[in-house]
Amino acid sequence: MTASIANPAVMNLARRDARDKLRGRTRYTIDHVTPGTLHAFLLRSEVPAARILRLDVTKARAMPGVRAIATAADAPGFFGIGIADHPLFAKDVIRYDGEPIAAVAAETLQQAQAAAAAIELEIAPLPASITMAQALAPDAPLIHENWRDYEILLEGAARGGNVAWEAKVMRGDTEAAFARPDVTIIDSCFSVGRQNHVPFEPRAVVATYEDGRFHIKTSTQVPWTVRNATARALDVPASQIRVTVPPVGGAFGLKFDCSLEPFAAVLARKTGRAVALVNSRREEMLTCLCRENAEIRIRSAVTKEGEIVGREATVLMDCGAYGGEQIFLTTMTAHTLGGNYKLGSARISSRAVYTNTAPNGAFRACNGVYNTFALERHTDEIAEAIGMHPMEFRRRNVIGDGDLGSTGQVFEGDVLGPMLEKMAALQAKAPATPRAPDDRRLFGRATTVGTWFIFVGPSSATINLNTDGSATLITSGVEIGSGTMVQSLPQIVAARLGIRPEDVVVKGADTDAAGFDLGVGGGRTTVSIGAASTAAADEVRKQILHAAGELLQTRVEDLELGAGRVEIRGVKGSGMTIAKVVQHLHGTVGPVAGTGAFTNPGVEAMAGCAMGHFIDAIDIPVFAVHDCEVAVDPDTGHVDVLSYRVVQDVGRALNPRAIHSQIQGGVVQGLGYALHEDMSVGPEGRILQSGFETYRLPGALDVVPVEIELHEGAPSIGPLGTKGAGEVPILNVGATIACAVSRAVGKPIHELPLTPPKVLDLILGDPRHLDHPHISATWIDNTIPVRA
Amino acid sequence: MTVMLRINGEERAFYGDPMTPLVDVLRETLLLTGAKAVCREGFCGACTVLIDGVPTPSCLKPAGLSGGAEITSIEGLGIEGELTALQQALEDNDVVQCGMCFPGMVMTLTPFLAAKPDPTREEVKQALVGNICRCTGYERIIDAVLSIGNKERTP
Amino acid sequence: MHPPAKRSLHIARSVTEALEARARLGDNAEFFAGGTWIMRADRREEFEDRHYISIGGIEALAGILISKDDVVIGASTSHAELAAALTEVAGFRALQVAAEKSANPAIRNLATVGGNICTGGFAAADLVPALLCLSASLEFSGADGLERVPLETFLKTRSAVLPGRILTRMIVPRRPRRSAHARLPLKKAGDYPVAIVSASFALGENGAVEDAVIAVGSVEHSARRWTALETAIRGLRPTSADVVALAKETAGEFQGRDGVEAPGWYRVKVLPELARRAFEDLAERKV
Ligand SMILES: Cc1cc2nc3c(=O)[nH]c(=O)nc-3n(C[C@H](O)[C@H](O)[C@H](O)COP(=O)(O)OP(=O)(O)OC[C@H]3O[C@@H](n4cnc5c(N)ncnc54)[C@H](O)[C@@H]3O)c2cc1C
Ligand code: FES
Ligand code: FES
Repeated sequence: MTASIANPAVMNLARRDARDKLRGRTRYTIDHVTPGTLHAFLLRSEVPAARILRLDVTKARAMPGVRAIATAADAPGFFGIGIADHPLFAKDVIRYDGEPIAAVAAETLQQAQAAAAAIELEIAPLPASITMAQALAPDAPLIHENWRDYEILLEGAARGGNVAWEAKVMRGDTEAAFARPDVTIIDSCFSVGRQNHVPFEPRAVVATYEDGRFHIKTSTQVPWTVRNATARALDVPASQIRVTVPPVGGAFGLKFDCSLEPFAAVLARKTGRAVALVNSRREEMLTCLCRENAEIRIRSAVTKEGEIVGREATVLMDCGAYGGEQIFLTTMTAHTLGGNYKLGSARISSRAVYTNTAPNGAFRACNGVYNTFALERHTDEIAEAIGMHPMEFRRRNVIGDGDLGSTGQVFEGDVLGPMLEKMAALQAKAPATPRAPDDRRLFGRATTVGTWFIFVGPSSATINLNTDGSATLITSGVEIGSGTMVQSLPQIVAARLGIRPEDVVVKGADTDAAGFDLGVGGGRTTVSIGAASTAAADEVRKQILHAAGELLQTRVEDLELGAGRVEIRGVKGSGMTIAKVVQHLHGTVGPVAGTGAFTNPGVEAMAGCAMGHFIDAIDIPVFAVHDCEVAVDPDTGHVDVLSYRVVQDVGRALNPRAIHSQIQGGVVQGLGYALHEDMSVGPEGRILQSGFETYRLPGALDVVPVEIELHEGAPSIGPLGTKGAGEVPILNVGATIACAVSRAVGKPIHELPLTPPKVLDLILGDPRHLDHPHISATWIDNTIPVRA
Repeated sequence: MTVMLRINGEERAFYGDPMTPLVDVLRETLLLTGAKAVCREGFCGACTVLIDGVPTPSCLKPAGLSGGAEITSIEGLGIEGELTALQQALEDNDVVQCGMCFPGMVMTLTPFLAAKPDPTREEVKQALVGNICRCTGYERIIDAVLSIGNKERTP
Repeated sequence: MHPPAKRSLHIARSVTEALEARARLGDNAEFFAGGTWIMRADRREEFEDRHYISIGGIEALAGILISKDDVVIGASTSHAELAAALTEVAGFRALQVAAEKSANPAIRNLATVGGNICTGGFAAADLVPALLCLSASLEFSGADGLERVPLETFLKTRSAVLPGRILTRMIVPRRPRRSAHARLPLKKAGDYPVAIVSASFALGENGAVEDAVIAVGSVEHSARRWTALETAIRGLRPTSADVVALAKETAGEFQGRDGVEAPGWYRVKVLPELARRAFEDLAERKV
């Protein structure tokens, strides 16, 4: 790729959607509930586990304003990821508090609620497993009695009982490594709570049904998943469903799955009217597809010199009542917990466990955030156990060029090492935050590393060139606030076509107009949709150059595109506007369009290392180094963040200012996870934090400006060498805060979040070592035996 | 019941339950959807409107008690939809992400800046205690606010 | 599940009208001041039908009168108005800080002093311990006329006093004292305080504590005085360390309430630190 093509794509382009967002004119899905739209409301379970004995909607159906009521009979199908275990409505069995049982559509929301309250429901309570320890107990009741009968959508994983899915890594002989006489064995357990995304726009959908087709307007990151899962749930052909996506008011992974859409669709079909279903904040809190709570044991065999000769880890991920995203996320452990460091041998078991709680889901750097916390705290414990400085330990062990990942893939390039040096330089520039002599707080500082990976997957793009010289980019990408659709994509396309990014019209996602896409998440958009868009742009570029060559009587190789014109190379003003060329083509061969497609090229893992994984190796590794200073109040347990620094591997920064904004925002979400956002499941399986009063999001006073350095130049298959930049900033915040607080208070930390009561408890109590009796120190016991 | 409301300089009638939160009247009846009902608890600030110039969470204000006052929603700011200096600074500094919190941020900061055109960083943060943003991490918003007029300021 | 509650609104122009409406509508009726508590009834899952009687527009409940002897605060004064009015009033720092730091700016514009005191089941009210340490009394208007009740008494007899009565004014005596309000939200600001210590001290010529009133809020279900600490500190010229030591000795008299946001033990454990903060704030100020 020549510099003349690459450079024009790099700029601090401001977002085109900011102006209307600032004036309150942007219409998110919640703003599409126009007069005449029916309001839907879900009758949800108020117990965690029960058998449904009787459900009668007759009376409710006759209530004022009620237009339809849907129940399990209207949605016979099962959907899911990996396994189809999820019915739309609880049918015979209720598996979590909050599970939908019926859906009502009425003229007003109050009428729908009144009717839902009038639905007659008789249930017989069943014993519930609220915690993973309960669900894994030998005598625990099965949450899915007939788990064997579910349709398997991806073969190869072990499942059994309340273990919904198990992904395993087995590389090398850890038993031999742990048996070596020259190693120290470090064994640590960790436990983290859930995190609610709290996107400001809740999950919301408006559906219609006309001429035998559904039109679902929804706040989602994954229009195609919505299309396909809705089809499964309703048992209709996917081609009957059209999904369009208005601007999304925050998502962070919550909207990476289908959730409310099929309910609205079913009601739209029943009523023939537009039906809106919008989660209340309380529903959004209690049934959020949270970042899952997890329990982790890591054991490492490490030599005096700090070589990690063996690592065994088990990660239990609470998937709640249905598998959902956690099934897929079991794959990530190999690369997050199994990342960062060179390992002589590795065994990792990553299990999604059913419990009678609200299903969990994907959340920005899902799985990575807590695995990085566990890994980095474990790393500090290793360094302490062998008497090595934690930074020295990291410098020696971080993955570099030619090193093996946990599943045996070979990494390219030295990235983490140089990034650690950059962080050291940043620290050296800014001396530690000064403290007043009478400051009684406890101070701590930590630097951590993190590994994320971008799984690219399929994307497609179409570009139409218009006679005014503008281009229309048609993809299934969604603007969720990260700026990809309004910044990096138009920048990439514009640079390729020699026009201004402002002249690239970006069409909102519409599954009837654009081809398949895996969805906006995981940091894949710029890479995958970017690559598909580049391919589409190349097609139209070729047509323009070819036509211009004829018009200008010049060889195509001697032409260049720029400033909206085709020019003979080096001779300004020699050519013509692109608009002219397009007009010419219109008249001669017809409109100018190009399409492009992309999918992951597939990186090799070592044969036989990975079992039950959706992907065995990392398409694009992304690394991050974080550093922070904290001050802890010894009398109240409050943690003040004094400074925060990030060195992030971005491949290539197309819009550095926008990436900085993503990093600031991602770090603050991470601070919420580390310090404020406590989401606990009560003894009856209901989430205790039902709104903003008890779920504390960081406010302006709780944050600091993040000092940022972007690390460019690491290898990437992304267009122009890009990597996604929005997902990663949250990755090692929990880790960095925990390591820093641990050093400040001089006690090991094994749990997040570190709310003031928990920190004070830590300060006042004796140092404790967390133990998970339900995760065996004998690794093999934490796996499902492979049947011969 | 009929409630006469004065919104963005116009007299508008609302027929309905006077206990309806003002935010729902704005959004559902008057189709002024700029204010967002994000928490309905007074914590997030996304529903903020000006009532007689005072920033007020419209989720906690019943329509029936909103008559007789001058209500300004985000749609009523600026002349004919032009950006105010504050909005312009936020656009220029590219601080918006999902955008859901911004109508409320603007409504909180507008009277704040009118009363205190030259605030410190800490003062801006204090003014935003009731405006939560899930996306941006705040600091760039504050940079943008402090950039208005490009004056030198103490941190 | 419960059907949505029906809620009606009645606007009263005078205290008499409000009381009449209350008598007419019965026990399902509630006065509506700033509404910042009432409007969240759904969020608290209160499903009963309610009549609300708006008292926000009643002139007799508005205004703050600062005289030589006392400060009289109308019940419908907002937190913001109170904070602004008290900036220069010697000895009232506890109340000024409580009004200025509670909640967030927009809520402070809306929420009233009367609402903060009268909300049943709201343990974290900032103004209550602040008013308690300043020995405030409350004036109620009911069918049986005006009644003046010391706040301390009211907190113990709330359920007997309130139904059917309107809090009209708070009367806070002006005395040569120093006061301070130390609150502990879990974030820097914006969330409810999990514990509060408000204190007012009368200091003698030599700097000794002649009298102390120390109130604790948010720790138990209702604010109350920390009498053991008051007694322990009387007559001393304490240092911060003394205050902390005495607070630690006497904090055991509180039984912290467990809440979603913080466990009971935590609320009690932080009291000595809050006592220290209040003391240092108060000792630093000459007013
Ligand atoms: C986002 C948010 C944050 C908050 N943070 C804090 C905080 O940090 N500290 C704090 O102390 N509070 C906090 N609060 C609570 C707030 O202070 C109370 O909601 C408020 O003080 C109640 O006043 P109001 O006028 O709005 O009461 P209303 O909602 O109008 O009434 C509340 C109750 O008081 C009764 N009542 C009101 N006035 C009278 C009267 N004159 N006579 C008899 N009864 C009356 C009503 O009948 C009702 O039962 C917060 C509230 C919100 C929404
Ligand atoms: S919706 Fe009104 S403050 Fe959050
Ligand atoms: S920009 Fe999304 S909430 Fe602020």
